[in-house]
Amino acid sequence: MGQQALNGVFVGSIYALFAVGYTLVFGVLDILNLAHQAVFMLAAFAALLLVADAHLPLWAAMPLAVLFAGLLGILLERLAFRPLRGRADSNISGLISSLAMGTVFEAIALQIFGPDTSRFPHGTFPDRLIRIGGASASLLQLCIIAISVVLMALLTLLLARTRLGRQIRAVAESPRAARILGVNVDRVIAAAFFISSSLGGAAGVLFALAFNSISPDVGRSVELKGLAVIILGGMGSIPGAVIAGFALGLIEVFTVAGFGSSYRDAVSFAVLFVVLLARPRGLLGQAAAREA
Amino acid sequence: MVVLLLLGIACKEKPAGEASAPSGGALIGAALSLTGAAAVYGAQQRAGIQAAAEEIAQGGGPKLQVLIEDDGSTKEQGITVFQKFINRDKVSAILGPTLSNTASAADPLAQQAQVPVLGISNTAATGITDIGNYIWRDSLTEAQVIPGAFKKAREKLGFKTAGVLYGNDDVFTKAGYDVMRKTLADQGIKVLDTQTFAKPDRDFHAQLTALIGVKPDVVVVSALADNAAAIVSQARQLGWSGPILGGNGFNSPAFIKNAGAAAEGVMVGTSWNSLSQEPANQKFLEAMKKRGVNPDQFSAQAFTGVQILAEAIKRAGGKTGREEIEKGLGLVKDLDTPLGKFSFTPSRDAQHDPSVQQVKDGKFQIVQ
Amino acid sequence: MDLFLAYQSLIAFVGINGLLALSVYATLCCGQLSLANAGFMAIGAYTGALITQHARGVPFVAVLAASALLPAIIAVPLGLPVLRLRGVFLAIATIGFGEMVRLFFVNWDYTNGALGLVAIPQRTHLWTIFLALAGALYLLGRLRGSRAGYALEAIREDETAARTMGIDTTAHKLAMFVLGAAIAGVAGALEAHLTFMVAPSGYGFGRVVDMLVQAVVGGTAAFFGPVIGAAFLTVLPEVLREAGARLGFAPGPFRLFLNGAILLVVILFLPNGLVSLLRRRRAA
Repeated sequence: MGQQALNGVFVGSIYALFAVGYTLVFGVLDILNLAHQAVFMLAAFAALLLVADAHLPLWAAMPLAVLFAGLLGILLERLAFRPLRGRADSNISGLISSLAMGTVFEAIALQIFGPDTSRFPHGTFPDRLIRIGGASASLLQLCIIAISVVLMALLTLLLARTRLGRQIRAVAESPRAARILGVNVDRVIAAAFFISSSLGGAAGVLFALAFNSISPDVGRSVELKGLAVIILGGMGSIPGAVIAGFALGLIEVFTVAGFGSSYRDAVSFAVLFVVLLARPRGLLGQAAAREA
Repeated sequence: MVVLLLLGIACKEKPAGEASAPSGGALIGAALSLTGAAAVYGAQQRAGIQAAAEEIAQGGGPKLQVLIEDDGSTKEQGITVFQKFINRDKVSAILGPTLSNTASAADPLAQQAQVPVLGISNTAATGITDIGNYIWRDSLTEAQVIPGAFKKAREKLGFKTAGVLYGNDDVFTKAGYDVMRKTLADQGIKVLDTQTFAKPDRDFHAQLTALIGVKPDVVVVSALADNAAAIVSQARQLGWSGPILGGNGFNSPAFIKNAGAAAEGVMVGTSWNSLSQEPANQKFLEAMKKRGVNPDQFSAQAFTGVQILAEAIKRAGGKTGREEIEKGLGLVKDLDTPLGKFSFTPSRDAQHDPSVQQVKDGKFQIVQ
Repeated sequence: MDLFLAYQSLIAFVGINGLLALSVYATLCCGQLSLANAGFMAIGAYTGALITQHARGVPFVAVLAASALLPAIIAVPLGLPVLRLRGVFLAIATIGFGEMVRLFFVNWDYTNGALGLVAIPQRTHLWTIFLALAGALYLLGRLRGSRAGYALEAIREDETAARTMGIDTTAHKLAMFVLGAAIAGVAGALEAHLTFMVAPSGYGFGRVVDMLVQAVVGGTAAFFGPVIGAAFLTVLPEVLREAGARLGFAPGPFRLFLNGAILLVVILFLPNGLVSLLRRRRAA
């Protein structure tokens, strides 16, 4: 049981980190960014290039890869989202333009890295096993949980305490009002994309390290999970996404332990379904209905 | 209107696709999954086919021009590629398609048009060669590999109970599991727990923790190489030190490379013996090394596929008509290939000896 | 003649994808983004395939009717609760439904799990597909300009206002949801009897996204827009195959790249889809 709980927390931390970025953009723009998983994947590849080919140590490669992911986010916003701003159907067309960008990113990865699974060279991270009670975890796993928690805390602080954070929240509430108040809306949205994609990229690098496998389709395994998490947590709610990420990780793990793994994904979707019907705004969603 | 216009653009003659080897001779179409979910196998197959075509051209065999097309891992595109091969490019024979699902959808069209198809990776037990007399394959089905492998493994390891883990959303791994389940039952081995995963999964901790918890004598896994490496590494990390028995998908140098020390002791039943010292296999390994490709059973089977077609043409007296090649395929016997001495069964399936291998000192070793 | 033979399956897929795009359009035209249709398609496909394989004598029309009916029946108890959700929430709830259907077939041993059903007799002809497509188009075309059609438009523009005007929004939305399910079911059965096989991998998240993309790229301002989108995006990969060969690109990622890039260009520069091209030309 202890081992399973640990397994759940571990996967959950990655789900949460992935979903936090996802939900940030949704909160600001009301648009699902389906290219988020492709950024996740490209960041992992970037880290791999830096470690394996440029021979950088991991502690230097990871921030660079995260920065790269953030820049990808800005590119994504410029190419796929900004041109659509102001269009009535922007939440559907944004879905499609981000999907198109995701396809382009995936094709690029496929061309450069090929379809095979790539891996970090042996010894990129020290192989150490730690026993906690009856359960065992690697040092890497514990570091990943720690890094995710720190990054999510930083994001929460940034949104609550800084000027940029307040501006992001203002734009999320009403872009028009924010503009009247003198906020540079375009800049703020670009910043939100930068942050969102950086977090997605960080999740990608950590995921790649944890399971030591990177391939152009690696984002697919978290894409729908991420969607489930942001719904469970309440669209646009950062703490909601964090809690829901860990909850989904634990639900999955205990479904496997209790009912068998064939039902794992079905149970996750069933929970999602029930939550949506019972509490359409998610566990921590705002009560005030914003018509989507 | 738009459709017709686009079709018009699409339909100016000149065959599309990537041609290898000089023109002239028999035109062979290869429908491979170069993008999409099965891109990993498609890449291996492309390398195998190109290497074999070059090899045969240099060795003075019958001239083969191979036209490679991408089916995007979908049955729709697979069907479209098949019809293009059959009706526009007028190929003499078709290699592929990569996936069994696509084969079930596209092969009947070739059967109707009487174009010989040689499957090079389809392992599903039904729905492939039983389509008709023009459909052949050089890939052993799991049913031909696993029972023997399990018997040998049991003699060595003497297990009585097993925990099973398999990918339930993938045709290769599900077909493998179906045979494993039957084999375990036939040999009186008790299955204590069965867990599944989906192909995109990277994390298997939960399933493995559950399996290890029931304390089986052996863990049996049906997974493809990249999942397999992750499964074995994670099992070892969770403290499983017992034996692991793998299916066809494990049989790839990439598995050992990626699983590292965790791969030690893993036993695999396989259709391609990567260690075979036979000249045909050595030649294949060398050709792949030249291309910088780490070969696996998919490239071995693809390589063999081209060899078989060349042999069929030879047996047909150098004629490259569709019917002649079909007749020629029936005459292929004891051909030296990377897979070993190759013949077809009366039902047009592959017939050659499978082998059992175990990882020792970072290398596959044959279990005698 | 050879040319027709070489591309007849492509033409067939244009028709089937057209039906699927219309099935998404059915709910889209009253402002509802429902993505349950890959699931309905799977149900229709398996229903049809099982009937054909186990009850040899049943005429194909009856098979298709059953393949429309079962998804339609399931759509009622599903639609009643989920159609209360708006926008992306509806989309995600219905994605959840679609995934559950797919996982059901992955885990159902009777239909061989991931292996699916094979050797289904081919009973679909080109004319069957295009007759079904014409029927669906006729139905949706007739809706335009009818009382129900105006009600749907009102719901799309402003649901609350429509309700205060006395329109039974729930009934209208549900009817279109059920219609979409039935169309998707028929398309599934047609495809199953065209491609000799059904397997759960054909009905994943990617499939329903394809349908939506085709509908939107074609344009949802006109009822025939989705069919144009489906035709364009079904033929595009094959055109790129030729183009790639001509330009000397190896088959593979490059085609995927162009597919994505063209999709992006269309969505950015043709806000009302490909249909607006036709209109513009007519206006000029």
